[in-house]
Amino acid sequence: MSENKELRIPVEYFDNGWKKGEATISKTAISFAGLTIPFKEIQDLEKLNFEGKEAIRIKKDGNYYLHFGNRQDQIFRYLAFNLKSDRFAVYFLSPATRGGVVVSDSKWDKGYLSITDEALWFLSTSRQIRISIENLGSVGKDVRTVGKKQRVVLVITHVENGEVITSFVLCPETTMDMLQEYIKNIIDRHKPNEDLSEIEEQILTMVYTGVDSVSVESILGITTEELNKLYDRLVNLGLARVVKIRKEIELTPRGVALVSDIMKKAAR
Amino acid sequence: MPKVLIVDDTAFMRKLLRNILFSGGFDIAGEAENGKQAVEMYKQLKPDIVTMDIVMPEMNGIEALKAIKKMDPNAKVVMCTAVGQEQMVKAAIKLGAKGYIVKPFQAPKVIEELKKVSGMS
Repeated sequence: MSENKELRIPVEYFDNGWKKGEATISKTAISFAGLTIPFKEIQDLEKLNFEGKEAIRIKKDGNYYLHFGNRQDQIFRYLAFNLKSDRFAVYFLSPATRGGVVVSDSKWDKGYLSITDEALWFLSTSRQIRISIENLGSVGKDVRTVGKKQRVVLVITHVENGEVITSFVLCPETTMDMLQEYIKNIIDRHKPNEDLSEIEEQILTMVYTGVDSVSVESILGITTEELNKLYDRLVNLGLARVVKIRKEIELTPRGVALVSDIMKKAAR
Repeated sequence: MPKVLIVDDTAFMRKLLRNILFSGGFDIAGEAENGKQAVEMYKQLKPDIVTMDIVMPEMNGIEALKAIKKMDPNAKVVMCTAVGQEQMVKAAIKLGAKGYIVKPFQAPKVIEELKKVSGMS
């Protein structure tokens, strides 16, 4: 895939089911099933599980799903590096913390921060980390020790599999200012328009932390009905989704009588 | 079960940590809302582990850590910080903090970290 060479490689592509074919990958485009997609027209790229296969999703107007067998990672890396995007040479540390705990075996990597229409990427020869724009949480500067020196880094928080991750970016100051502003604008565009009350913020924090609904009620001193109303608002704001509706019951007199029998039986 | 002293100036965070730690098999020795109170309570309660917020009124978490370590060099203190308090965390580690957790945290991670520090895992 270097210089002017083209790579021809077996591929499975999804078209009302997985079909076998051949892909051609050049310096500027990928072709398969009679279709050519120039890299500069790729709007997004993602690795995901699709219709029973580990696939690469290429977005260009619509979505195309491809599977390259044991060369999947290699092709993904090549496509990621050739995406038409704003790209900045940086050092990055991702993840720095996960779920509030420092990831001790994470290392600084030299590569690029790349921004496409739908995602922010950390790209190096060994890693291609994609952060969907809707998963971005916050961006800010802080001082960190990098190579035994104190340096200002960009701290980006994002969500991955339901956990808050922080990643650090180190680059020249002018680039950092621009990146911070750019990412902040992206985050602001995705924020809900309405402000949250203190109690709503507390509920979000508790749900993230893993506190169950009964404990949320107890910690906040509110009733189930009040909590349900607050949950509804968070759902309507697009900040949460309903995963379970629990039933609460009370015993009928027959049920109560049965419990007495159960206790007697247990005492025998 | 290890006894934990929770130190945080916001009542909400104290309640949240109490809930997490209790369900994680820890006993709650007590709660303090600033560093000064934490030092006093440490003396009285002798907890096995302390979760210590960094930014607090009266006496901050770093000063409280210093005082507790002076009193008990083997004290196990886990600093509890918000994103952006790296410099304070570094100072805390130098002063003998055994670990730190960053807000917002998730219950299983907090329990894992505290178990590690307390020697339960």
